[in-house]
Amino acid sequence: MKTVFVHPERCIGCKQCEVACAVAHSQTKNLFLAVFESPTPKPRIHAEPGMVLNSAFPNKCRHCNPAPCQMACPTAAISRPADHPEIVYLSPQKCIACGMCAIVCPFDVITYYASGSAQGRPAVATKCDHCIERQRLGATPACVEACKVGALEWGEINEMVKTARTRYSEVVSVAVGQISGEMVHIPANVEAWHAYGAEISHLNASGEKGA
Amino acid sequence: MTPFSGNGYKKYSINEDTWAMMDIAHREGIETVWDRLAKQEPQCGYCQLGTSCRICTMGPCRVDPFGDGPQKGVCGADADIIVARNLARMVAAGASAHSDHGRDILETLHLVGEGKTDVYKISDSAKLRRLAAEYGIVTEGKNDQEVAHALAWQMMEDFGMRHDGLVLAKRAPQARQDLWRKTATYPRGIDRENVEMLHRTNMGVDNDWVNILLQAVRTALSDGWGGSMLATELSDVLFGVPTPKMSQMNLGVIKADQVNIILHGHNPMLSEVIVAASQDPELLELAKSKGAQGINLAGLCCTGNEVLMRKGIPMAGNHLMQELCIITGAVEMMVVDYQCIMPAVAETAKCFHTKVISTFDKAKFPGVEHISFDAQHGLAIGKQIVRMAVENFSNRIPSRVRIPVSSVPVMTGFSIEAILSALGGTPKPLIDAIVAGSIRGAVGVVGCNNPKIRQDLGHTELTKRLIENDILVLVTGCATVGR
Repeated sequence: MKTVFVHPERCIGCKQCEVACAVAHSQTKNLFLAVFESPTPKPRIHAEPGMVLNSAFPNKCRHCNPAPCQMACPTAAISRPADHPEIVYLSPQKCIACGMCAIVCPFDVITYYASGSAQGRPAVATKCDHCIERQRLGATPACVEACKVGALEWGEINEMVKTARTRYSEVVSVAVGQISGEMVHIPANVEAWHAYGAEISHLNASGEKGA
Repeated sequence: MTPFSGNGYKKYSINEDTWAMMDIAHREGIETVWDRLAKQEPQCGYCQLGTSCRICTMGPCRVDPFGDGPQKGVCGADADIIVARNLARMVAAGASAHSDHGRDILETLHLVGEGKTDVYKISDSAKLRRLAAEYGIVTEGKNDQEVAHALAWQMMEDFGMRHDGLVLAKRAPQARQDLWRKTATYPRGIDRENVEMLHRTNMGVDNDWVNILLQAVRTALSDGWGGSMLATELSDVLFGVPTPKMSQMNLGVIKADQVNIILHGHNPMLSEVIVAASQDPELLELAKSKGAQGINLAGLCCTGNEVLMRKGIPMAGNHLMQELCIITGAVEMMVVDYQCIMPAVAETAKCFHTKVISTFDKAKFPGVEHISFDAQHGLAIGKQIVRMAVENFSNRIPSRVRIPVSSVPVMTGFSIEAILSALGGTPKPLIDAIVAGSIRGAVGVVGCNNPKIRQDLGHTELTKRLIENDILVLVTGCATVGR
């Protein structure tokens, strides 16, 4: 299953994903023309600030399966396209702007705006479509293409999770190394085994060859 | 000369030599301006629209162009104010660059006036005296050196705040001057307008975007009728008024059997000296002893234009050719002064024997040898630089020399004096033609290249259309080398 994997620790809050998303979902697909379109195209990804300064999380539809929004939608405006069943797709023409999908969304990523695809309606539900039009042309989602710091990654989820998992276990191993036998009961042989592992891991830390 | 189809590279340039060199760069893994642009894309939308502001540390701030996010910076500036401030600061940076170049030329005139230079002299006494008259200097009974001293002193005031308005701005038609006075855009002092522009666009100063943009106009005019006009006029006084002449252009001007020196940048002070030094019999003899047939100079960018129009030195290309020149493998030295010199040339040169030499203390480059240029001892420094280039000839790898095309002829040197003389000493025939409607106007195309647009396509197409519509075109800058 392909998805956009988020590495929030790499996000610098530049919001280029938001701009690229709005342009990718505009009628003209051109930044300089898109800002003058009516209705104004809107981003479907939002890099919102975290609890501390200089942190952010680019939040977007996770394309759940089963998708709560799809189940709650009374007009079947939310569906899974035959050629891309991993995508939770919203048809603006069928939306009645009741707000139910937004209420049940676990990630709060469905917003309501006027849409070029539903002319004359004041607002319809607007959410990420994993750039289905771009994918059909062989391109990656616009937010991933725009991300300069590797906070958004496009690929097979299991491969990306494996990479992230390995990185996480490395972080945990450093933390575990701080726990000594006096703080918790660790058998002497296990403590010695940890110490031995740490010792040989650092043997070649300088990168020099020999001895 | 292998004919090269340009397959795959045609979208980057209209020029054969560019296609061929891009192909070589690609095969040898040498990075070029087009590769770096591709890595930057997609570029930041806020910055492209000018709606991001980095002027104060309450920011950086952004105004969301799609209306969802913030519509004001921390200080309360909206998109109009932020865009105006950004544009105005870009105007100030560009005007400062031109005008500071003008200052260097003016300082050289001052040195001539004080008799403190071993190389520079007044080449056009009549033009010096015409200019002095414009500044109200009595020239009768004074020699050139005295006039130069008095004129330099007066022109320095143009950079300050003692003049009520720039002296040369009085050359503009009266109606235009009246408009400037009415809109508070009459340029007063060159440095003054630039400093005031930075002041007014600082946080919490001028917040009326119309007012900001009017000062941006005044700053630009202080360059056009001040700094860059002084630079042009004084370069003519010091180095001679350009006259129409034929020369050659494109990468074909680099000679496989000669020591090749590329002159790159914007200021003619050093390049004029290199031209003199390259004709030095002792250095020519040294070149012969190294197996070279001679010392060949070629220009790039506006330094290239300066020596092209005055000395007929051929042009290797414009802004986007600077890395590609080096990739010919036949360049012993690239001498740079300032402006438009990409730091990338230092990296490209590392792939070859080419030496890059920076010369102005205000423009140094990491990984580049610096020889501090000093107008008092210009010729000695010029000879030192040419000698280094000649000695580098033996480090050339002949198998890596590939000059992709033959050069093509170019006609150049249309100074205002040359044009007037061609018209019989008066602009009347031209004015008559404009009044009669056979010439519908005049346009200056001062074009630069940008890898975002196919090289040379923009200004060549524009120029063609203008000519088709009976509009007289004068080109300078990168546009000069567009074919």
